[in-house]
Amino acid sequence: MIDHFAILPCNGLDKCAGLISRELALKLCESAENEILCPVFYRVSDKKYNKIASERPLLVIDGCLTRCASKLAAEKGLKITKKIIIAEEAKGHGIKLNDNLRITDQEQSLLETLFDELNKNDDNIVPPPSESAMSCEFLYETFQNGKFIFRIPKNGEVFFNENDCWAYVIGNRARIGVTDFVQQNLSDILYFTPPEIGAEIDQFGELGEIESSKSVFELVSPVSGKVISINEKLVGKPELLNENPYELGWVAEIELTKFEDDKELLIGFDKYFEIMKKKVEEING
Amino acid sequence: MSETTFMGVERSLINWKPTIDYSKCDYCMECVEFCPHKVFEVRENEEIRLIVKNPDNCVVFCRACSKTCGVDALSFPDKNMTTQRIKEIRKEMETHD
Ligand code: SF4
Ligand code: SF4
Repeated sequence: MIDHFAILPCNGLDKCAGLISRELALKLCESAENEILCPVFYRVSDKKYNKIASERPLLVIDGCLTRCASKLAAEKGLKITKKIIIAEEAKGHGIKLNDNLRITDQEQSLLETLFDELNKNDDNIVPPPSESAMSCEFLYETFQNGKFIFRIPKNGEVFFNENDCWAYVIGNRARIGVTDFVQQNLSDILYFTPPEIGAEIDQFGELGEIESSKSVFELVSPVSGKVISINEKLVGKPELLNENPYELGWVAEIELTKFEDDKELLIGFDKYFEIMKKKVEEING
Repeated sequence: MSETTFMGVERSLINWKPTIDYSKCDYCMECVEFCPHKVFEVRENEEIRLIVKNPDNCVVFCRACSKTCGVDALSFPDKNMTTQRIKEIRKEMETHD
């Protein structure tokens, strides 16, 4: 149940998806003790909302992928507890949104569905059973660029892809995460969307998302297999990724299905070290 | 500049790039601002004001710019097919060595 939340929606005057986010926010406020932070007013004045924003969990409702509301939350340094993007939800429900800025039947029914889902989902916040038993001990090589120090694991058990994700492989399991390059490049990470437990992922398939005020990074899985656990600590504390994307900020664990095949498109420390160094130099000069 | 190979395969042989759906694009230019690899080019005075100028600069398997596009106008090739193709090319390369 969404109750006693601060809700930061899209203002809803540019696109139909925005309109729905605004209406959904209103409905959530009518049904429980939630409070809306008006994005337009909030932009020019902190005073009115600072107290609620700091005391309550925050639900961000973005209309479209421009994610104005998320970006505003980032600007204000707010911690996002939960968020949805209406355009994505519409897609997930097989609904094609129109250009209208008034609620019609179609929008109304999506709105009701999302309202129910939001309130239902939160009743079973109990995390799905995770069977994490991997203990990974990393050995690092580092290099410095400007004031930043980058660490790269150099154990033989750690494999990389050129999309800056690593896999620590023990037996038929792998723990997956992103490298220091991703976390430095995104800067402050505000939100982590984990993959679903039980999902079957192909090599290079999507394994969740990481979001900062700058951008969204889609994790490109280095290996194929089944997701058997996720780093639940990261859901509540995405900033662990900035602190340490290896021991603390790992993302998920996968039961490997085709590791011998996957290996063909994986690289080891030596190669990745060179690639990452080059990327860092390209970006920072 | 960008990598010239991906997993040892010449980048120009791999079909991975964004495609702009001009019926949706409203030229907000979020994608251009976002991507550091000079994949897109803005053409101020032309009717089509944005093109994919340097497809081979696009990082294989990256789809990040599509997440900044408010109207969902950017699409990418199928990841599985691309992976298969990369493997095939690597096999061909081995037999030619
Ligand atoms: S972000 Fe989307 S709408 Fe904006 S210019 Fe790029 S393709 Fe067009
Ligand atoms: S997919 Fe990534 S590299 Fe390619 S154009 Fe978009 S942001 Fe740039």
